[in-house]
Amino acid sequence: MSTGASRRYRAVGGVFAAAALTATGLAACGGSSGGSAQGSATSGTIVWSASPIAGAGSTDTRTVLIAAFEKAFPKIKVTLVSAPTNTDTNRATLATEISGGSATPDVFMGDVIWPAQFGAHQLALPLSKYLPASYFAQFAPGLIQGATYKGQVYGSPLFEDQGFLYYRKDLLDKEHMTVPTTWEQLAADAQKLQKAGLVKYGFVWQGASYEGLTCNYMEYLTDAAGTATNATYSKASLDSAAAVKAATFMRSLITTGVTPSSITTFQEPQAMNVFADGQSAFLRNWDYAYSTANTPSTSKIVGKVGVSPLPTFAGQSYPGYSNIGGWNMYINPHSKHVAADLTFIKWLASNQAQDILATKYSEIPTTTAVRNSQTVISLNPVLAIVGKTRLVPRPAGTPNYPALSTAIYTNVNAALAGSVSTSAAMASAQSQANSALSTAGGGL
Amino acid sequence: MATISQATDQAPVTPSLAGHRDANTRKLARMGWIFTAPALILIAAVTIFPIIYSVVMSLNNVSVSGNGFALNGFTGSNYSLVFGNSTWRYALGFTVLYTVVTVVVELVLGTLIALVLERLAAGRGWMMALLLIPWSMITVINAELWSYIFNPTYGAMQEIFGAVGLGHPNFLGTPTPAIASMMVADIWKTTPFVAIIVLAGLVMLPGDIYEAAEIDGSSGWDTFWRITVPLLRPTLALAVMFRVLQAFGLFDLPYVLTNGGPGTATTSLAVLGYQAMFKNLSFGPGAAVATTTALLVLLGCLISLRTFRVQVGKENA
Repeated sequence: MSTGASRRYRAVGGVFAAAALTATGLAACGGSSGGSAQGSATSGTIVWSASPIAGAGSTDTRTVLIAAFEKAFPKIKVTLVSAPTNTDTNRATLATEISGGSATPDVFMGDVIWPAQFGAHQLALPLSKYLPASYFAQFAPGLIQGATYKGQVYGSPLFEDQGFLYYRKDLLDKEHMTVPTTWEQLAADAQKLQKAGLVKYGFVWQGASYEGLTCNYMEYLTDAAGTATNATYSKASLDSAAAVKAATFMRSLITTGVTPSSITTFQEPQAMNVFADGQSAFLRNWDYAYSTANTPSTSKIVGKVGVSPLPTFAGQSYPGYSNIGGWNMYINPHSKHVAADLTFIKWLASNQAQDILATKYSEIPTTTAVRNSQTVISLNPVLAIVGKTRLVPRPAGTPNYPALSTAIYTNVNAALAGSVSTSAAMASAQSQANSALSTAGGGL
Repeated sequence: MATISQATDQAPVTPSLAGHRDANTRKLARMGWIFTAPALILIAAVTIFPIIYSVVMSLNNVSVSGNGFALNGFTGSNYSLVFGNSTWRYALGFTVLYTVVTVVVELVLGTLIALVLERLAAGRGWMMALLLIPWSMITVINAELWSYIFNPTYGAMQEIFGAVGLGHPNFLGTPTPAIASMMVADIWKTTPFVAIIVLAGLVMLPGDIYEAAEIDGSSGWDTFWRITVPLLRPTLALAVMFRVLQAFGLFDLPYVLTNGGPGTATTSLAVLGYQAMFKNLSFGPGAAVATTTALLVLLGCLISLRTFRVQVGKENA
């Protein structure tokens, strides 16, 4: 080969070295995003970042809310920035924008589990410094507590979500069964329905290795009278008898055939599909499942679906705990329009906005007034039983919650897959959770 | 770089005119630098600065806040946190295993396909175009399609396995099948890339050596192992290096197919680094993961270079 060729190789080698090192560049891309402030030039225009809620086009929830707000406050314009639907991608985008000093978005819709992390990193404005206690008192109990970190409230609840038990009314009627109030009864009933050949699976839920499994696990854990951590978030309690009992019960659903073994890959859509396809007697899912199961284009079981609070373990008082999900409104600390931001956020908690969310989109309202309004309650069975459920938040009061949740869902998922025993999985969850809680930022 | 060295090479060395030529060369060199400066500055801004910054971050106590990143002093704790973390050690093992298996399989299959393609008299262009479809598709879209194929409820793979009596494995929901499924998706996508590179190498091999081998009565097998493979070594090294670089940065497939699960069975180093940085906002440990990963990739490339005994710059020695 000629020397020219060998020189070319040397150059190619250099390119490889550079390409290899570019991998490290990943670390730095958050640091250099500029402080551009598009949309803030005209005074009274604020930028709202929100992931899709429901509807599309002219019925998009966000567009409808903005139109109603601009009608009420004609001098303030709201520009929508559609955020990623994946909540982790959404968080990463916001965290890099805001830590880079960007003044937009002025306001953003964020997950209910973000307040501690965003508060600790000053990625959100403490709303309690601007709004009186009476403002926060209008929300349903527990929601403001979940939005509080170190005495300051960072999020204003927009709409709530929680776990429900969906069941096949027709199948239970056929076998003269009542809606199960304990997990043990649910498993037994499901098996009977499967044995009778009425349905392929007994019970589907969310068991994949992701945040949703932490939500599911928290419900069993709380029903078993356990907690994930102590009150000060200094120590995990995931190897307690209750924690192991919860994981063992979830695994037993798979080993007894009530739940398919593929549950270890199920997020909400997979579980919803199986249930809507008529293949499962019971489903654990969020608020939207009722309307999906009753929409002919997406469901084979229209009109056959009932909804109730989740069961609990035998010996505990009914109902069981439902995990809290949903979204809050936050303000970017760099926003140049805090007054307008606050006007918008306050309006989103008004009866008008909460009514739109509840009546047009079946989202669970966050203010007590709209939650208890007869119009809303009579609208659909899900909204009617919201008041009868018992709620449990995820252990998100620590800025290290993402690492804590990873410790929970990866290990519970491994136990569900049967690759480790439930007690070994929970021991591993305990040690990973403790290291997440004791490391600044939660570490890896 | 090339411009400058070329200018130096081409300057004929005539002693009497040395002074003149030197000035001329310097002028040419200066012009070279001036012309390449904008590109170099751009490259420095988008690659060298982030690289150095992430190395610096990995060695610092980094805090991220609404006011940006703050480097709060030198620390080795990011690295000790990474090395002491059992998930990191697992992710390292998984990433290495994944890289070795996929690269070896892709190399073997790719070479076989290239040998077939080289002998194809008609339709080679069509075959190549068809072959490149998987490679030309965006990995995330590939991954989404594979997630339908591996879907446990209505996936095609379930049906196929069931039809031939292999039961209904939980492809993405149990550790070993999940790792294997991911490798299949990767091999399906990347084998054509290896095949094209190897084909390019094959086409360029001198025909006279093969004629000589034929005259000497060498068997096809011998010709392949004693002539084709040694001559292809630089090409194979190139293919392996590209693949090692890419496979080691495995991210899209686990991100879409399994989110690193079941448990942490398919958590690669890149997924772990991403989680640390963008979920936990722990940029110090995340940067340490990225830096160690990059160093390991370099090491992997050096090892593969040695394996193929390609001595850079010494091929003629």
